[in-house]
Amino acid sequence: MECLLKFDKVVKCYSGDTRALDNVSLEINQGEFVSVIGPSGSGKSTFLRSINKLIPLTEGEIYLDGETISDKKGRALRLCRRKIGIVFQNYNLVYRLSVIQNVLHGRLGYMSGLKGILGRYSEEDKHKAVEILEELGLEDFVYNRASDLSGGQKQRVGIARAIMQNPKLLLCDEPIASLDPSSAKVIMDMLYDMIKRRNIACIVNLHQVDVAKKYSTRIIGLSKGKILFDGTPDELDNATIEKIYGRGLEDLMLGGSEGAR
Amino acid sequence: MPMPKQTAEGLRYNKKGKISVCCKDKNMSLVYFFAGTAVCAVLSFAYLDVDWLKLLSRVPSVGEVFFKLAHFDFGMMDLVGEAFMETVSIAVLSTIYSMVLGLFFGMIAAENIFRIHILSVTVKSFFTFLRAVPTPVWVLLMLVCMGFGPSAGIAGLCVHTTAFFTKSFSQSFEDISTETIEALEVTGASKVSVFTNAVLPAAFSQLIAWTGMRFEINFSECAILGMVGAGGIGYVISSNIQGYQYGVAGIAIFLVFVFAFFIERLFVKIKSLIK
Amino acid sequence: MQGKIELMGKREKRMYLIFGAVIAAVWAVSTYVTEFSILQLFTEADTFWQFLTEDFLPPKLPGGSELVNIVQSVITTVAMAVAATTVGGILAFFVSLFGSEYISPFPAFAKVVRGFATFLRNIPALVWAFILFSSLGIGTGVAFAALLITSFAFMVRAFVETMDEVSRDCVESLLTVGATFPQRVINGILPACINGFVSWFLYCFEVNIRASTIVGMVGGGGIGLVLFSYLKSFKYNTAFGIILIIAFMVIVVDLFTNRLRREITK
Repeated sequence: MECLLKFDKVVKCYSGDTRALDNVSLEINQGEFVSVIGPSGSGKSTFLRSINKLIPLTEGEIYLDGETISDKKGRALRLCRRKIGIVFQNYNLVYRLSVIQNVLHGRLGYMSGLKGILGRYSEEDKHKAVEILEELGLEDFVYNRASDLSGGQKQRVGIARAIMQNPKLLLCDEPIASLDPSSAKVIMDMLYDMIKRRNIACIVNLHQVDVAKKYSTRIIGLSKGKILFDGTPDELDNATIEKIYGRGLEDLMLGGSEGAR
Repeated sequence: MPMPKQTAEGLRYNKKGKISVCCKDKNMSLVYFFAGTAVCAVLSFAYLDVDWLKLLSRVPSVGEVFFKLAHFDFGMMDLVGEAFMETVSIAVLSTIYSMVLGLFFGMIAAENIFRIHILSVTVKSFFTFLRAVPTPVWVLLMLVCMGFGPSAGIAGLCVHTTAFFTKSFSQSFEDISTETIEALEVTGASKVSVFTNAVLPAAFSQLIAWTGMRFEINFSECAILGMVGAGGIGYVISSNIQGYQYGVAGIAIFLVFVFAFFIERLFVKIKSLIK
Repeated sequence: MQGKIELMGKREKRMYLIFGAVIAAVWAVSTYVTEFSILQLFTEADTFWQFLTEDFLPPKLPGGSELVNIVQSVITTVAMAVAATTVGGILAFFVSLFGSEYISPFPAFAKVVRGFATFLRNIPALVWAFILFSSLGIGTGVAFAALLITSFAFMVRAFVETMDEVSRDCVESLLTVGATFPQRVINGILPACINGFVSWFLYCFEVNIRASTIVGMVGGGGIGLVLFSYLKSFKYNTAFGIILIIAFMVIVVDLFTNRLRREITK
């Protein structure tokens, strides 16, 4: 398989010597569904955000499609960023605007000049946005204000916006942490289907180990900025989970293992 | 604006036949607001009828004045220092006295403590009137009654500040949920003790925030009061500028700036501490 | 036998004690400096009351050309406030985009922008008026400039805070789709923050109505100047009439802006 994303000895330090990422090296291939697990403060978020330079690196290099990212600026950086979609924990929508306007924001990276500034999207883009919204079951909410939606619906808009970018890679920063269990399942299912259908690689930060096991093709366990585990869900045994979270299984709330899927 | 048509597939089209992307219940008031503001601004400029070219041609002399102001003249430092102390004192006293008065009147004005509608409406409208008259006007009135000096400044500032506190404090009191108040009332506590034991502690951090904000305002107000004749640093600034002693005025303005900056920082700190 | 049971933690109690002590000390020093005693107000209450009832009441307004002059000066005061707030708001919007580290394309520059606004803001409007009067001469144009400076600086601060609070998330998401700075402003910041901006704009207008009265007093023209001239010539009845007009004007503006705010943020 083709290598899409490559971390080469990446280090990120915050204020002196606390290392949020400590010498991380790995490769991610096209079509992979990777879950990143680890306790709070283990560097999950930094890991994800460093990929499209929302957080600048201290050392090392990240390659996307064979190109480096950390030395890019301005237009070149924007072209890189447009290949990477992000789904945020807090949805990060513009709540005053309609659902379709929020989805169309995903096209801004492809537009230039006055058209992009004024948000004059092409008919083609609009039709595509509606198609994606239909795929996510939001066809009745196209003209609703984003603020009127429920949490799960907002997250679906967030996914639609990211898909609208035509990304090669989708990053999800704890996409279900603010949702109730039933919308969380809906979101994970939709995410999984969209990714499979489009053959996009996906990296998801998760708190729930059982969710990670169920959906992903590969799991990465982070602790204190270091990779402690990198393998398939089957290889992730209880001893490894205890090592990642630094405490015994009986002290961990891993979520119901009844398998909602 | 014509309503976009809605088609069978749920899409709307605007009059050019393109798919519309706006919300279905668009709030047009914002558009009207901007249009109205633009019209008002144009009318205002037309009415003011200022010779802008002449004004702009004199702008370089502003730089000149700043240049002169920056050449501090420390010759009258004792006088400036005294006036500055007086100004700070006026600001402090007017804030403290008004806070006490404001707590009292705020308690009466809040709808949820005594629950006498007429009383709170009367108090509120009275203070709305007091608040509507700018502070220097009150100070001028006090000057006429009490004669020159800091007392008139304090009394004048107190009128406006008390009115401000009454409004803001009563607002903070009213924000407290009725459940809290009812919970204490069912224990048989009197209205005043409910106020001191439940309402006051709950609103405390907000009261501090309001007081801090008002102290900032009061300081800058008092810095200008002198200009209408109530003494203090404002008088030093205005008389020295008018007497072309820019060096002295420069120090005074600098002091005002530094102190205002300092209390702004201080209250930002205090606010973050309380939260 | 134990002492009283404490209701507060030790640290908290000490904090309140220090707080109270500081206030008491500041009060004492200020009282000493100004020689102000609250009793003075009561002893002079008689003169005050007498003055109020005999000199000020009943309020009176002159007729004829003087009344026309008063009405015109009210319009001048409002016009100064409208003009200064509008221009200040437009300028502040553009400048504030560069005043926030999260939004500005030149984050290193943001502190400079905010510092400049802080400098302008912490000098009161009337002091600006005096500085400008001494360099530009007296008149409504200069009063406008003085108001413009303070309202511009105030709105830069308010707008930057609004943007930091409201639009950090959505600016981040627009960054990740690869949007340019103007695209982020128009499609993200503007729709997310417009209610906050309008709210602060209206607040600034309320403040400016009062400020333009005051700036008028020292030579900017408008109703403030008219009031000052009546006070100086001891025509207290007329002065009181004008004070009522000012109060009326301010209350009407406040009611109007409150209504607008409700309508827009609906």
